[in-house]
Amino acid sequence: MNALRTYALTALAALALGVGVAHADGAEGVRLPKFERVTLPNGAQLVLMEKHDTPLVSLSAMIPGGALGDAPGREGTASLFGDLIQKGAGTRDAAQFAEAVESVGGALSAGADTESVNLSASFMAKDVDLMIELASDVLQRPRLAPEEFEKVRSLAVQSIAAAKDSDPRALVGEYGDAWLFHGHPYGRPTDGNEQTLAQVTLDDVRRYYAEQVGGDRLILAVVGDFKAADMKRKLAAAFGKWRAAGAAIPIAPPPPAWQGRRVLLVDKPGATQTYFWLGSVGASRTDPARTAQSVVNNVFGGSFTSMLNSELRIKSGLTYGANAVFSRARQPASFSIRSYTQTDKTVEAIDLALATLDRLHRDGLDATALAASQQYLLGQFPPTLETNGQLASRLTDLAFYALGPDDVDGYATRVRSVDVPAAKATIERSFPVSGNLAIVLIGDAAKIGAAVAKYGPVTKMSITDPTYYPAAAQ
Amino acid sequence: MIASSISRRLCRGLAVVALALATPFASGAPLPGADQIVTKTLPNGLKIVVWPDKDIPNVAMFTFYRVGSRNERPGITGISHFFEHMMFNGTSTRPPGEFDRVMEANGGRNNAYTSSDVTVYQNWFPASATELIFDLEADRMRNLDFNPEKVESERQVVYSERRSSVDNDNLGTLAEQMQATAFVAHPYQIPTLGWPSDIEGWKIQDLKDYYTKYYAPNNATMFIVGDVSPEAIFRLADKYLAGIKAQAAPEPVTTKEPEQPGERRIRIVREAQTPIVAMAWHSGAAKDRQTRVMEVLLSILGSGDSSRLHQRLVEHEQAAVEVGTSLDQGFDPGLAWIYAIVPPGGDPARTEALIDEEIARMAKDGPTPAELTKARNQALAAFWHGLETISGKAQALGTFEVFQGDYRKMFDMPAEYASITADDLKRVASQVLTVNNRTVGVVVPKADGAQGGAQ
Repeated sequence: MNALRTYALTALAALALGVGVAHADGAEGVRLPKFERVTLPNGAQLVLMEKHDTPLVSLSAMIPGGALGDAPGREGTASLFGDLIQKGAGTRDAAQFAEAVESVGGALSAGADTESVNLSASFMAKDVDLMIELASDVLQRPRLAPEEFEKVRSLAVQSIAAAKDSDPRALVGEYGDAWLFHGHPYGRPTDGNEQTLAQVTLDDVRRYYAEQVGGDRLILAVVGDFKAADMKRKLAAAFGKWRAAGAAIPIAPPPPAWQGRRVLLVDKPGATQTYFWLGSVGASRTDPARTAQSVVNNVFGGSFTSMLNSELRIKSGLTYGANAVFSRARQPASFSIRSYTQTDKTVEAIDLALATLDRLHRDGLDATALAASQQYLLGQFPPTLETNGQLASRLTDLAFYALGPDDVDGYATRVRSVDVPAAKATIERSFPVSGNLAIVLIGDAAKIGAAVAKYGPVTKMSITDPTYYPAAAQ
Repeated sequence: MIASSISRRLCRGLAVVALALATPFASGAPLPGADQIVTKTLPNGLKIVVWPDKDIPNVAMFTFYRVGSRNERPGITGISHFFEHMMFNGTSTRPPGEFDRVMEANGGRNNAYTSSDVTVYQNWFPASATELIFDLEADRMRNLDFNPEKVESERQVVYSERRSSVDNDNLGTLAEQMQATAFVAHPYQIPTLGWPSDIEGWKIQDLKDYYTKYYAPNNATMFIVGDVSPEAIFRLADKYLAGIKAQAAPEPVTTKEPEQPGERRIRIVREAQTPIVAMAWHSGAAKDRQTRVMEVLLSILGSGDSSRLHQRLVEHEQAAVEVGTSLDQGFDPGLAWIYAIVPPGGDPARTEALIDEEIARMAKDGPTPAELTKARNQALAAFWHGLETISGKAQALGTFEVFQGDYRKMFDMPAEYASITADDLKRVASQVLTVNNRTVGVVVPKADGAQGGAQ
């Protein structure tokens, strides 16, 4: 991947930081390696990139639609579709399919996101024909067999129960999105919940397949050890005749802003820590200010030395970790602050997180912090485009959001262009004030319920409830 | 144990890389660039292994110290991991926080992990920061300071880590209890995170003793992969690391776990919806051939949707939501693990009986030729995926150099895996995966536990 070239520290940044390392000059930045795009007559978009340093090939596919195509009350349909197409396709039943993938050391998985169904695969280069056959089978010839449907549905429900018995860090975001976006499509559970999964039928899945999946929507990228001309011919033969999806691509409207503070308290009796999620409506994947948001958020809650981690972990020892994340989609998805602390420190830790957010608004970022954040993001960017799989998923991501290669090639320039006034404007526009937060807490309600009422009206539910949103508040 | 190494920060990627590289299997094709690997041992005993790789303008530097929870004793359990945290918290030349701040401000990122056997410090940085990183790494190898306030706040950080990965995670709790039950003599019984009363009790003097004894150049090996030249790296090593004094070699761990005379069982009643069944057998050390055989055996039993246990328990019998396997690969003989998450309302005794049947079938009939081929192909693919990144290469070099005595053993693995036969698997299944040699652990939901009917 020689097209990725070095970043250099600017002399200014080095002075500001007072460190004496040697710097190369120049600011070429990382560029996407050469790739080719083809649109087939049925509308399928192919992206091909040769990379020959390992005998491997990765495939990434996106089909716009995703969980937004689920019928109301049947959330999880797209997710079950993703599970089910791996359980028998083409000439192979479920066991034969798994055997075909694994016997050559391959990997293939499918699933649903809010706005797309995704497929990824990785095989040894010598098995690339098999990879194309299997990917083509799961998308165009899934068996959608009744006995397999019942199994994947049961497993999906049981896996949620198992997750609730495990580290709550894995689930706090599900409750967060449900609370923050209630009434908006982004508040619906992407993989369903125990209640909605029980309602989904095989007919729902078959209807989903007919309406929301087809060749006209396919975005497929392949990266690795192959010849592009051969690969193009094979992919055109495999996907060029696939039928179109029967319905239009569902698009969510922009979600309304969140005002005020309301608390969802999810009771996990016996929990020795409280897990908290402080959210608001954030920014879209294509937001022109996305890089400025990353530069600011890296200082606020991204890197290890971020303001949040410094306050909650490094200085106070209240937690093992605290961070802030922009989840991105076609529309603004959540911005969230996440951490956890021992039960009797719950209020201390949340107060500190809120005070840190207040400080971001009050003080903004100084030039030193800004320069450090820029260096960090630039230094850590090349390893995000190192493997075939990373490159393939970046290529489908760019096509899905209709972003050009400039999203990568112009990254360094955009990072460097963020100055102190731009950071200030970004904080005002994209970061919530502490008075406007959707608050979710998972913890021992008997011990923290009274104390957290100071953050706003509290709605309680149990972690064993079959939804991520309280029934009483529906 | 199932979660065998404890990271300084949550890092999902690491476990995958480590697992992939535990099972390399090359095709006989030459590894690109492998002939450029160069080593140098400084007079103070610090060995440095360099693998130049210009794919991206970055560098991965992993420093392995040969110390982990296996070197602990009652009273200081968990101190290896705690020490790992303190390595980021100040030296006599840099105040607490400076290490991370300077590294990040120069484009670098770091993490670290501790296992029963080793403590590993990982730096990922743009090549332009190489000299700075040497300066930082040498400073904490030579000048570490123990600020009393930092010791107290970091103690709480580790406690929080324990609450998430053990207290509030049922599989984590079970694995810790089983580890402590399976070993009665060998210090592998010690949980890497430490017992709560020891977390509360570590003293600064304990940390100082640990530093002197284990954080010596002769007890460490450094692996550097990326956009570097060996000459430049060795020049920096001479400048920053060669002056650090060697120490007397730490006393070896000599206790051997006696043969287990009979099955051990533990039962944990918890707030839960899903019961869990897990089994752990005494197996081999990383360098034993039996460990390669066990890897293949566990892969056929439990790795992937086409594996025997997944097909039987998850697909056919609906007796598990998930099955998994894990194999300790340390300096001394560790455990081979199989676990199953049982569906809500399911009977863990039935799930256990089904696992027993599948083990008995393997012990009696061995694998099919297709299964052996599959396991080899999976190992081969995992090997190549590990080598896709400079970070994966650094982890692979470290794992082979430290646990097998020579990073070049990596390249002998094809022959070793090819030599594994169906009879090997039968023999290991029938001699190791026995009732007497195992510890069985069950998590029973509180509601079911009241009936006491889980076993």
